Amino acid sequence: MKRRLLAVLLALAARAQAAEEFGFDAAEFEKKPFEIGGYAELKQERFSLNQGGAFYRLGFLGQPQRETLDRTTGTLQLQGVARHGIGSLDFRTQSVAQGDELASERSTKIFDAALSLRPTPGFTVEAGKRALRWGKGYAWSPLGFVERVKDPNDPQLAREGFVMADADWIASPGGDLQTIAFTPVLLPVNADVNKDFGDPGHLNAAAKLYLLYRDTDIDFAWLSEGSRPARYGFDFARNLASNFEVHGEWARIRQLAKPVTDSAGRVTTEVGDATSYLLGLRYLTAADTTYIAEYYRNGTGYSEQQSSDFYRLVDDAFAAGNSALIQKASTLATSYGRPNAGTDYLYFRVQQKDALDIVYFQPALTAMMNVRDNSYQVTPELLYTGVKNLELRFRLFLLQGENFTDFGEKQVSSKLELYARYYF
Amino acid sequence: MYRALLAALLCLLALPAAAIDGRQILQKVDRNLEPESYESYRKLIDVQPDGTKKEYVLYTMKKGRDKVVALFLAPASDKGRSTLRLADNMWLYMPDVGRPIRITSLQSVTGSVFNNADILRIDYGAEYDVEAAEEQKDAHLLSLKAKTAEVAYDRLRMWVDKQLLLPVTIEAYAASGLLIKTLRFRDVKDFGGGIKRPATLETDSPLHKGYKSVMLWSGLKKATFPDEVFTLNYLPRVQELRK
Repeated sequence: MKRRLLAVLLALAARAQAAEEFGFDAAEFEKKPFEIGGYAELKQERFSLNQGGAFYRLGFLGQPQRETLDRTTGTLQLQGVARHGIGSLDFRTQSVAQGDELASERSTKIFDAALSLRPTPGFTVEAGKRALRWGKGYAWSPLGFVERVKDPNDPQLAREGFVMADADWIASPGGDLQTIAFTPVLLPVNADVNKDFGDPGHLNAAAKLYLLYRDTDIDFAWLSEGSRPARYGFDFARNLASNFEVHGEWARIRQLAKPVTDSAGRVTTEVGDATSYLLGLRYLTAADTTYIAEYYRNGTGYSEQQSSDFYRLVDDAFAAGNSALIQKASTLATSYGRPNAGTDYLYFRVQQKDALDIVYFQPALTAMMNVRDNSYQVTPELLYTGVKNLELRFRLFLLQGENFTDFGEKQVSSKLELYARYYF
Repeated sequence: MYRALLAALLCLLALPAAAIDGRQILQKVDRNLEPESYESYRKLIDVQPDGTKKEYVLYTMKKGRDKVVALFLAPASDKGRSTLRLADNMWLYMPDVGRPIRITSLQSVTGSVFNNADILRIDYGAEYDVEAAEEQKDAHLLSLKAKTAEVAYDRLRMWVDKQLLLPVTIEAYAASGLLIKTLRFRDVKDFGGGIKRPATLETDSPLHKGYKSVMLWSGLKKATFPDEVFTLNYLPRVQELRK
């Protein structure tokens, strides 16, 4: 009797385990009228400051000099959607609390908040704040005409959008032209709205035409003259093999004005057409190693000589203690100090899935180089996503370059970063 | 001499007949597995050697022989991701990135033993030619060869249940002849609407020793979708199409 009871219990236990292992009812995943989710992230960074660098000297002007800086950042990103009929209202916000040994700050930004109407699957119209992403580049996107600049150190990070009205018309004609889609955009700029997009007092028009033609993605994009100089361009992406993708972008900006200084601090404004382009590839090996490589020609950037003149200006200004020149250099730092302000860059990334036979463990190595002055940045990275909804990432940025070079004059010489991100 | 010629002629005549049989079987396998156009929910379970599991839930839409969209519904870290396949082209849309990027069939968006080609599977007949069909005791053994180099696996050996005309086991090989993985179908279930097929698919790989991935089906039913759904521009809105 006892044996029989034991056998029944074991059978029941086995069935329960099997049910647990393979139980799946789709009903619990039905679409809801309102959904909310997001992530909470805690990030710790240690900056080793580059005390001889031009941007350190400008950034720490009048402050106690430091060798390192520790910063703690807490981030809460919320995203959600409310649905009714053919319409939906979606949002994405990011709240950041940041503190280091010098300052602390808190901010909340609305990245996206837009009302969408979809009378048919082939037509959508939207109004509100929207982060549109154009272009095919991984680290850079010269074709990103209506978006904030991508951070090549974190290209997959969400970015704040702009207030706009846009539409999307899609058709699938079939044959060689598999898809055609048209996206017109209206983006106003005034004292209250989108003021960081460019000059106020303009209703900027932009558009993108997408084609999937013979298995190749092709986009043509255009932005009218208004808050920013007019620009147009195209991109493409195609798989040459099941594990090999190539992509590229080309953009031309009309009559771009760029402040340029000589080493004595005489500032002129260069006006002219600027052409930027990018060529890239992504290759996956049988061992699950992914290689990403890109060459970026930044037509809006500063030549090696122009950058060198700026660094010489900073050097001379501090050596002489000339506060007027230091002030002038500080004003120019916005333009000369933006990420990838040079003209020619190489980007290379290699990442290994399930390294050391640990599933969800992905080490990577990223390198970015200014090929004009041979300065560079190398970033080893460790990523682990093996715990449900938890992402752990460690990165070490190592910057290297001679005096008067792009990465040699940055504010930091290295940065250590560790974050834990929990999705809910 | 005449005998040899006759034998050769008979072999030549026999080959197309076997190929036709194999093709017919493969066509039936494709339709018995899924209607040409359907929607379904799937759960992917990755089981690590120590027994820990990671689960994903996807909503899938398929149209015709080679158009598939899959939307991640869980876990929270992957929710909102969507993938699109049009024949040999595949893209992944991540909400934070905000635009679709091209991916390859051999990659895995989940990190599991299942790769993108398994998750966004289109008709076997759309990707493979039947090279040989062999009759065994309880099964037909189909030897399949990829139609192009774009296909994830160069060759498949597919054992098909003779009665149900459903796959039982599939071995997937690289062009080098290396066994990449074995897929095992089980738990044949009636989904309604005339769809009776395995509700569970298990896979393991000699390349990932000790790891196992399981795919479970639920809510599989015939459905029709406009072509516009299977486009890059629609990927961010796929979840709105779900009932």
